[in-house]
Amino acid sequence: MRISALFLLSLLAVHAPRVAAYPEPAAPVKAEPDTCVSVPITPEAAQAAARTNQAAAAQAETYHYYADTPEEMVPYRNLDPYYRYWLERLPFRGPGRDYPDPVDLKSLKVGLLSPAPYGPEGARGERTRKGVLLAFEEENAMRQPGQIPFEVIAKEDAPLWGSAANITVEFKDNDVLGILGTIDGDATHVALRATLKLETYIINTSDPDPTLTETQVPWLTRVFPEDRQQCFRLADMVVRQRGCKRIAVLRESSRPGRVGVMHFVNDIRRLGSPAVAHLLYKAGDRSLAEQIAAIKAANPDAVLFYGQPADVGFAAAQLRQAGITAQYFGFDRLMEGAFVKNAGDAAEGMTITYFFNPERTDKPWVEFLDRFQKRWGEKPDIYAAYGYDGAKLMIEAVNKSGPNRFRIRDYLANLDSWDGVTGHMVFDARWDNIAPFSFAQYQRGKWLFQPAPAITRLDKKRLSQGMTAVPDAPAK
Amino acid sequence: MKIAGIFCLRLASLVTLLWLTAPLQILATEAELPLPVIERFETFGKEQGVPTNKVHAVLKTSDGKLWIGTWDGLCVREGEGKFRRYGPEEGLSHKLVTCMVEDPKTGDLWAGTMRGLNKVSGGKITRYFQTDSGLPNNVVYGVDIVNDNIWAATAAGVGALDLKTGAWKIYDHNNSNMHEPWCYAVKGAKDLIYIGVWGAGIVEHNPQEGTFKAYRDPDGDFHYDLVPDDGPINDITSWLAWNDGLLWQCTYFGMSRYDGKYWKTWVQDKTPLPSNFTQFAWPVNRYCWIGTDKGASVTDGTNWVNYFVGEAGAGWVEIHQSGKAMEKRPMSTALCNGFVLGIWADEKEAWLATSKGLSRGIFASGTASGKVAVVK
Repeated sequence: MRISALFLLSLLAVHAPRVAAYPEPAAPVKAEPDTCVSVPITPEAAQAAARTNQAAAAQAETYHYYADTPEEMVPYRNLDPYYRYWLERLPFRGPGRDYPDPVDLKSLKVGLLSPAPYGPEGARGERTRKGVLLAFEEENAMRQPGQIPFEVIAKEDAPLWGSAANITVEFKDNDVLGILGTIDGDATHVALRATLKLETYIINTSDPDPTLTETQVPWLTRVFPEDRQQCFRLADMVVRQRGCKRIAVLRESSRPGRVGVMHFVNDIRRLGSPAVAHLLYKAGDRSLAEQIAAIKAANPDAVLFYGQPADVGFAAAQLRQAGITAQYFGFDRLMEGAFVKNAGDAAEGMTITYFFNPERTDKPWVEFLDRFQKRWGEKPDIYAAYGYDGAKLMIEAVNKSGPNRFRIRDYLANLDSWDGVTGHMVFDARWDNIAPFSFAQYQRGKWLFQPAPAITRLDKKRLSQGMTAVPDAPAK
Repeated sequence: MKIAGIFCLRLASLVTLLWLTAPLQILATEAELPLPVIERFETFGKEQGVPTNKVHAVLKTSDGKLWIGTWDGLCVREGEGKFRRYGPEEGLSHKLVTCMVEDPKTGDLWAGTMRGLNKVSGGKITRYFQTDSGLPNNVVYGVDIVNDNIWAATAAGVGALDLKTGAWKIYDHNNSNMHEPWCYAVKGAKDLIYIGVWGAGIVEHNPQEGTFKAYRDPDGDFHYDLVPDDGPINDITSWLAWNDGLLWQCTYFGMSRYDGKYWKTWVQDKTPLPSNFTQFAWPVNRYCWIGTDKGASVTDGTNWVNYFVGEAGAGWVEIHQSGKAMEKRPMSTALCNGFVLGIWADEKEAWLATSKGLSRGIFASGTASGKVAVVK
C-alpha cells in the first residue's frame, strides 16, 4: 500500500499541471523504437564533439539567453513574452563611487563565509577555504613596502535558516570590502539579500543553485558554473545523444535537490521525453525500497541522480541489485570518491557533467596544482580551485578599484570575461560564469573526459555597462 | 555679431521666463490629476544633523515628530530642524535602521535593524533579539502593527509579538505555505496579514482562521513576464504596502497591485514605471508613492508623476496622464538622490529617504492630493 501510494505521489508530482497563464504545449507522444544506447566516451568521440560544438558556437552571432541554454530547451520558446529580463545587466544607480577612501587602513579586509564544518558541505567548505587562503597568502607575499596587506575575516555558517544574514552583518561591522562564499544555496541567498542593504559585493565560488542570480541583485558575481547549465548539458546527453526516452529522476529531498534538477526535468520534457518517475529520499537514508520499487515499475532507460555522492553511490548500487539496467547520469559531485566507493560495480558507465578535465596540462592549472600541493600537502579539488579563482578576482578588483565598495562593485559587475586557473570565464547578464561543462564517464576504474565546447559567441556582445543609465535632465 | 548677441539675449530671457513659469504650468496640468504634484524639494543632510548619507526609512508619527532610520542610527527631528541621533551607544540594537512603525494606541516607535528589533517608548529603548525573544532572525527588514501584534519580517520567517500577553509566534516554511522563509516585508490589511517573501511571492495570512494563501507569479520563470496583469509580477517581493483595499507589491522586476480581485502590473519601458527596481511603496488613499533606484513616483495606476535627478544634480518631473502625451519639465529643485529607499507621505507633504540624504517634497498649491482616484 505504501509503495503504491508513493508511486502515485511521484506520478502526481511529475505530471502536476504547471500554473501558468499559457502553459506550454504537451510533449509529443513518440512511438519510435527505443534507441537509448550507452556510448562510451572515447578520445576520438570527444574530439569530434568538441569540433562540432566549436563550429556551432562560432556561427552564433547573438547573445544567448537563459545561461546559453539551447533554443529548444528555453521555456516559452514558441511565444513572444510580454517582457524579457536579463537581456542586459541591471546597473547599480546608487551613489558611493566618489566617497573618500577610509583613512588609517591597517588591512584590506575580505569576508569569507564558509559552510558549517560539521554539516554536509563542511569538507568542501574547508577545501574552498584553503584555495582562498592560498590566493591571499600569495598576494600578501608579493605586495610592495607601503602597500596595505589583505586580511581574511573568516566565519562559519550554521545550519539554520537566516544564519548567513547575521554573519553578513558581522562582516559589515568589520568593514570588509567584499565577501567570498558560500556553497550552500540557502545561505548565499540570505547573504545576498542582506548585502543589498549593506552594499558589499559577493563573489560566489561554489553555490550551484540556479536561482541565486535570478534575484536581480547587482551585488554578486558567481565564478562557479551552476546547475542550470549542467541540466541542459545532461538533458542533451540523455535525450539527444543517447536517445533515452524513459527517464527517471532520483534526488535528495532538499532545496538543493529541488532546484538542482528542476531545469533537467523541464529540459527533457521540452525535448519530448518527460520524466517517467521523480522520486525523493532524505539525505543519508538507506531505506530506499519504496523508491526503487517505483523506479522499477516505471521501467526507465535512464536514471538521473542528484544528491551527496555517498547517497547516490548507495542508491546506484541498490538499483542495479534490483535489476534496473538503465543508464546512469549525474552531476559533478559524483567525481568525489564516496560515490565510487559506495556504488562499487554500479559506478561503471555513470556519465556526469564536470567543469573541466582536472588532468589537463596547461600552465596556469599545473602551476596552481603545484603551489597548492606545496602549501597544503594535498591536491586541490574543484572547490579549492574556484575558491582560489574567486579570491584572485576579488584581489584584482580591490587592487584596481581601491578600498571603495562601490568601485569594487563596478569593476566586478562589469566584467564580461576573466581568466583563472580553472579556465576562461564568461559572465552573462546575471553575472554567472557560463563556461560550458564537460562530460565525464566512469569506465574501468577511472573517469574519462569529453572536452567542453569552446566559448566564442558571448564574446561578440559585450554586456558591461556604464555606472548609470539615468538620462540627463532636459534642457532648461 | 551684434544681431546674434541680441538674439541670444532674447533667447535667454525667454528660457528664464519659461523656467520661472514652469511651476504655474505644472499647476495647470496637475489640476486635472487626482494625485499630488511636488513643486519643489527641500534637502536634509549632514548640516542638519543627519549622521550619514544613506537614509533607509522615514516616518512621521502622530505627534508630528519626524523619525529617520539611517545607515548610522535612528534620528528624530527636533526644534530648528536639527536631527538628534540614537545609536548603539544609547541602546539601539544596531546602527543600521531598516524600517519603522508607530503603535497607534501608545505612540511607541518600533524600529527594525540589521541586528534586532527595538521599541522606543518613554525615552527608553527595549531590544529584541533572536536569542532572547521570539524574533526569528536578527535581520529585520519590515515591521508593522496589527491588532496589538507587532509583526516583524526577518531573514528567517515572520515573528509576531502579542503586546497584550508578550507571547511570540513564528511563521516560516515549517508551519505555513511559505515556499521559503526569507521574508522582506509584512503589512497589515485590516484583519489580514500580507507577507512579502523573497522567492515565494506574497503570502496572505488570516490570523483568526489560521489560514495561509499564496500569490505567486503565474509565469513560473524569472526570465519572463509572459502576460501583464496576470498576478504578482515576480516572486521576489522586495516590499509590500496596503491601504484602502489595495495591495502594492514592489519587486526588482517591476510593480504589482492587487485589489482583491484583479492584478495590475507595471514594468519599465512598457509603462510609465521609471525602473523595474522598485524598493518601497507608501500608499495614501488609493494612490501610491513608489521608491525606485531611478527616482520616485506617485500613481493611481492610471496617471503617473515621476521625479528624476540627473548625474549633475538637476531635477525634472514627468507627468503621464491618461490620453495625453507625457509632459517632461525641469524643476527648480531636485530630489537629493534618485536611489529612493523609503517614503512617508500624507495629503500635505512627502518625505523621501534616499541613498544620499533626505528630501521633503512640497506640493504645489491647489494640489488635488485629497481626491480619491477612480481605480479602473
